[in-house]
Amino acid sequence: MNTKPDSAPAQDTPSSFALPVVSGRNEAAPHAHAHDDVVNEALEHASTRAVAAEGSYGKTYWLGLEEKLATPEFLEETRPEFPVGADLPPTGFARREFMQLLGASLALAGATACSTRPQDERMVAYTKTPPEVVPGNPLHYASGMTLGGHTSGLLITAREGRPVKIEGNPQHPINQGAAGIFEQAFLLSLYDPQRARVLRQGNNPRSLRVLAEDISTLVSQKAVADGGSRLRFLTEPISSPMLRDVTGRIQKKLPNARFHAFASLSGTAAAEANRALFGQPVQALHDLTRADIIVSLDADFLESRPENLAVSRQFGDRRDPKNGELNRLYVAESRMSITGGMADHRLRVKSAEILGIAAALAQAVGGPAASLGAAASGKAGTVRPEVSSWVQAVAQDLKSKAGRSVVLAGERQPAAVHALAQAINAALGNVGTTVKVVPAAAPEASGLAEISALVADIKAGKVDTLVITATNPVYALPVDAGLAEVLDPKQNANRKALSVLYAGHYEDETSKFADWFVPLAHQLETWSDGRAVDGTVSIAQPLIQPLFNGVPEAELYALFLDEPFRPAYQILRDYWTAQGGEAGRADFETRWETWVSEGVVPGSIAAALTATPDTGAANALVAAYQPPAAGELEINFVHDYKVLDGRFANNAWLQELPDPITKIVWENAAILSPATAKRLGLENGHLAELEYGGRKLQVPVTILPGNADDTVTVALGYGRTGLHEVVAKGVGFNANQLRTVNAPWFDGGARLTKVRGSHTFARTQYHWRMEGRPLALDMSVSELAHPSKETEHVLERVQGELKLGKQNNLPDFDYAKTPAEGYKWGMSIDLSRCTGCNACVVACQAENNIPVVGKEQVGRGREMAWLRIDRYFQGDENNPAMVMQPVACVHCEKAPCEYVCPVNATVHSDEGLNDMVYNRCIGTRYCSNNCPYKVRRFNYLHYTQGKTPTEKMLMNPDVTVRNRGVMEKCTYCVQRIERVRINARVEKRLIQEKELQTACQQTCPTQAIAFGSLADPAQRVTQLHEDERAYRLLHELGTRPRTAHLIRLRNPNPALVAAAPAESAPAHEGGH
Amino acid sequence: MSRLSAAMLLAVPAIAIGGLLAYVRSPHVTNQAHPVEQPIEFDHRHHAGDEQIDCRYCHWTVEKSPSAGIPSTTVCMSCHAQVWNKSPYLTEVRKAFFADQPIPWVRVHNLPDFVYFNHSIHVGKGVGCATCHGRVDQMGAIEQSAPLTMSWCLDCHRNPGPNLRPQEFITSMTWAPPAEKAEAAALAEKLSKEYDVHSRTSCSTCHR
Repeated sequence: MNTKPDSAPAQDTPSSFALPVVSGRNEAAPHAHAHDDVVNEALEHASTRAVAAEGSYGKTYWLGLEEKLATPEFLEETRPEFPVGADLPPTGFARREFMQLLGASLALAGATACSTRPQDERMVAYTKTPPEVVPGNPLHYASGMTLGGHTSGLLITAREGRPVKIEGNPQHPINQGAAGIFEQAFLLSLYDPQRARVLRQGNNPRSLRVLAEDISTLVSQKAVADGGSRLRFLTEPISSPMLRDVTGRIQKKLPNARFHAFASLSGTAAAEANRALFGQPVQALHDLTRADIIVSLDADFLESRPENLAVSRQFGDRRDPKNGELNRLYVAESRMSITGGMADHRLRVKSAEILGIAAALAQAVGGPAASLGAAASGKAGTVRPEVSSWVQAVAQDLKSKAGRSVVLAGERQPAAVHALAQAINAALGNVGTTVKVVPAAAPEASGLAEISALVADIKAGKVDTLVITATNPVYALPVDAGLAEVLDPKQNANRKALSVLYAGHYEDETSKFADWFVPLAHQLETWSDGRAVDGTVSIAQPLIQPLFNGVPEAELYALFLDEPFRPAYQILRDYWTAQGGEAGRADFETRWETWVSEGVVPGSIAAALTATPDTGAANALVAAYQPPAAGELEINFVHDYKVLDGRFANNAWLQELPDPITKIVWENAAILSPATAKRLGLENGHLAELEYGGRKLQVPVTILPGNADDTVTVALGYGRTGLHEVVAKGVGFNANQLRTVNAPWFDGGARLTKVRGSHTFARTQYHWRMEGRPLALDMSVSELAHPSKETEHVLERVQGELKLGKQNNLPDFDYAKTPAEGYKWGMSIDLSRCTGCNACVVACQAENNIPVVGKEQVGRGREMAWLRIDRYFQGDENNPAMVMQPVACVHCEKAPCEYVCPVNATVHSDEGLNDMVYNRCIGTRYCSNNCPYKVRRFNYLHYTQGKTPTEKMLMNPDVTVRNRGVMEKCTYCVQRIERVRINARVEKRLIQEKELQTACQQTCPTQAIAFGSLADPAQRVTQLHEDERAYRLLHELGTRPRTAHLIRLRNPNPALVAAAPAESAPAHEGGH
Repeated sequence: MSRLSAAMLLAVPAIAIGGLLAYVRSPHVTNQAHPVEQPIEFDHRHHAGDEQIDCRYCHWTVEKSPSAGIPSTTVCMSCHAQVWNKSPYLTEVRKAFFADQPIPWVRVHNLPDFVYFNHSIHVGKGVGCATCHGRVDQMGAIEQSAPLTMSWCLDCHRNPGPNLRPQEFITSMTWAPPAEKAEAAALAEKLSKEYDVHSRTSCSTCHR
């Protein structure tokens, strides 16, 4: 195998029909000139054919730039099903990295290889079975996850005492059953063997008792001496009522100690603006169910926490024509975001231009907002004419729907933009209908100003003890924040006068500088509580005893009270008992039981405030606005879609998740628009030096359509150097090294120059592509109602009758033996609702024991995710529209895979499932070759080998852990079907629609996925299958999928469509 | 001579293959008829036989869980705190109970990890304990009585009728279908209808 030339496409896969000559380039290779000619000829041939075929469908969809431009490199690399070298084992450094990644202990390999029937397997029964446990059956517990001061309500499945799956709590008003990628991957972090385990002072392990005594002495001295005036706490924003009570009591005991809150998550500008406008810490809540027009000023509201899950659900419901008229989304933003991809009209602007747009919008909307707009436009300067016309059209639309619209300001935008958005909403009468303000869950200011104040105090020698419980601030702060300098003994001569206690989950960049390090207990290991963005309190119960001796956060804080020890459970209960007063104490036990089992405290939702914003404050905010530097490139720092600010960087599920837009795994990149890249002479995979503010960083470049011109976007959260964070180490580059306190999110004046060398990204984008056919369909509402000839042609192709013999040539499956219940399992995926947020992909990974394979393996096309989300661009390559399309096995009625398997390892079930039988599979991969959807995944290596004992606890016991050499794919969560079937049959009834949900369907924030039996006309999935928008992927092949996709609808503004004819014209852009 | 060698040429591989097939199905390979020594000399002959204790008293999850459940030590002690509470046979049980240490029983019925067997549905549909586990009341040490091969599973999954019994006899060790063939068939049909039993042979029924 090693003799295979590196550049040759894999010969064992059928090469393309369109490019017969390319696969023959080996023979031509010795004659360099002849070879070039042959290749060029082939490419020409291919491109002419591509135009002819694609043009007839009116629109051309393309996966990435290379495909669109049909460059030779692209055509050669992506033709085979598996990329070059997909069947080679990892070698050299890559192999080492792979082994490291799996934490492999090879000693285990020999022991497990031989027999399936161990002779002396032990069964260890309980001594006392806990009353709620029925061994073999799962239990569900309500709990929560706190991130950046907001708590998500979770429902966690546990098997014999170990949590194996996290879902959203259906009773939680924000989650409503959904969970994002972070909530779900929270489970993996619980079992992460690289979590910190040792409480230490310097390098010496210490017991908690020693620390407690130390703190007790410190506190009693300080309380007498100076009221703790030299004690500082640096915490995450605290929304937990219990922790607020504990810290409040610390403050009482040590009145001069100070608490600083900090989370590197965005949202501080909004908090700052709201604090100024309303004179108190408030939080805006949006209700999109009533919003007909939504304008996002750089707000990625479908993805940015904490409101995203609730807002996504509301947004999705308004994209279904069955629920009435569609809403219309306008987005002005610099980078292509998930929200931008859902826009009906997206305006590509620099981040710095947003203020001007907001000002112009305020002026155009008029009323009370006009004067503020005028003041802001003076600051922002003139807007470009094309922007101005866009703004006028948007304003017109907004005014026509006054009271039924909403303007959202971006998380990364300065307070002035938030003030303007607030003023526009007020002028339109949206306040109280689509947007309301409630008291903030974590009221303390948590911006960079807090850090600056803290650093100034330390520098002035006013601090002798610093307690850090914020997540890894040394890494997450901008380079000039100064915290690292004052903590580092090498840079701070007076460091000895400062004692630093850091409590965290990992030995990370911050723990390096800590005098005391306390490993924190995971939230699933301890009792806690917390508020969601709308004020809802969740009681978060533990699912398991601390695995690595972690200390609960509440118990750590309680040490500073210098009181007798109470466990976190007691602290929590004592707090909540006291809340009810004397009357509440009587029936506390019953109420407590309900709170814990349901996961939410009833009546804790915050009431909307009626406060009116202070116009003077708004003017002051606008007046205080400092325009960013102009010139050169605008650098944009964004939170990563997968690792956020770096706190999830050690989470392999998230690292391997493809970025929703760039589809890059395991790293970040400097993102440029095609035009800017061309101007700078940069291409995908080039290395460049990014220079900003006198600091330089070498970054790999990728080109992304839809990015604003003259901007470069870099994601935070990578380039981690934590001591024991093996997964995160050396992945990507650390953009914080360029970030400054004055311009934490965007600024002008960045320069990008090409340097020697190149970089290879691992993406899931180019392979698994679908060859230029009408796959992810989208059209405007009017187009669906009155289809043009071209649309009719497309619809005929994806929905029309199949002709017997021509497309319907596989034999029918005999359903005669189907049991009396007659379930016909089917799925529907609504592209109108799907935002591409990846929640379903993580849900699938957790539910189905899908392994993580590492960057190098993904680069070879060996990613294992059963469910992928294809992202297609369409239209102008600099300013495209985007469509997301989740694709998993579609369970064909006439499945091509079934007919080629020589060992019957993939067969049809009597209810229409395409079953995969791992124990029969011998790994010929014929099925994958014959699958037109490319949804089958092959275990090239023993990816599940060498798991540590804690990692094994993560596995879902209802799903086989696959071995090397076995094919696998989506099963429609057959383990869930069988479990509810057995329950239903034992109870002698039919399966109810609501009791059976696949993992992807269950977690989808927008309810884009429906699943059920097509035999029951009342089920949602059946109705969606009969919807006029429903179509089958690659319908013309006659595979008759059981999964239907629903055409995505757009709701363009006629005024803007007329203004921009280039968007709607049937372009032939596939041709160059 | 040549005829003999030709015959040998065919026969030897055929016998070898046949022998191999027979071998892998033999009780030796399927682990049948091989009483397994347990850490505690628990005797089903006494409990299920002499005392006539219902299977479900100890294996109480059999009707609601995939697993029939290995009884916890508490279950042992629920009786043996009162009876035989000084017996030297039970020293280890008492030790385990008071030390809160589980007893490491040795697994007898072991299906491969890619097979998902569910007790509750089988019991619920009228497949008796003895049908698969044999006359446990006659076993001093538990042994595997059925081959537990896939073909053995499928025999019943293709035609479950003959292995069904009325629910009231589900744990009976002595119940047998009527000797009369027609009567047995009638009972099979009646029970299949009553319990809504049908053939389930799709792969995902057991393999997930």
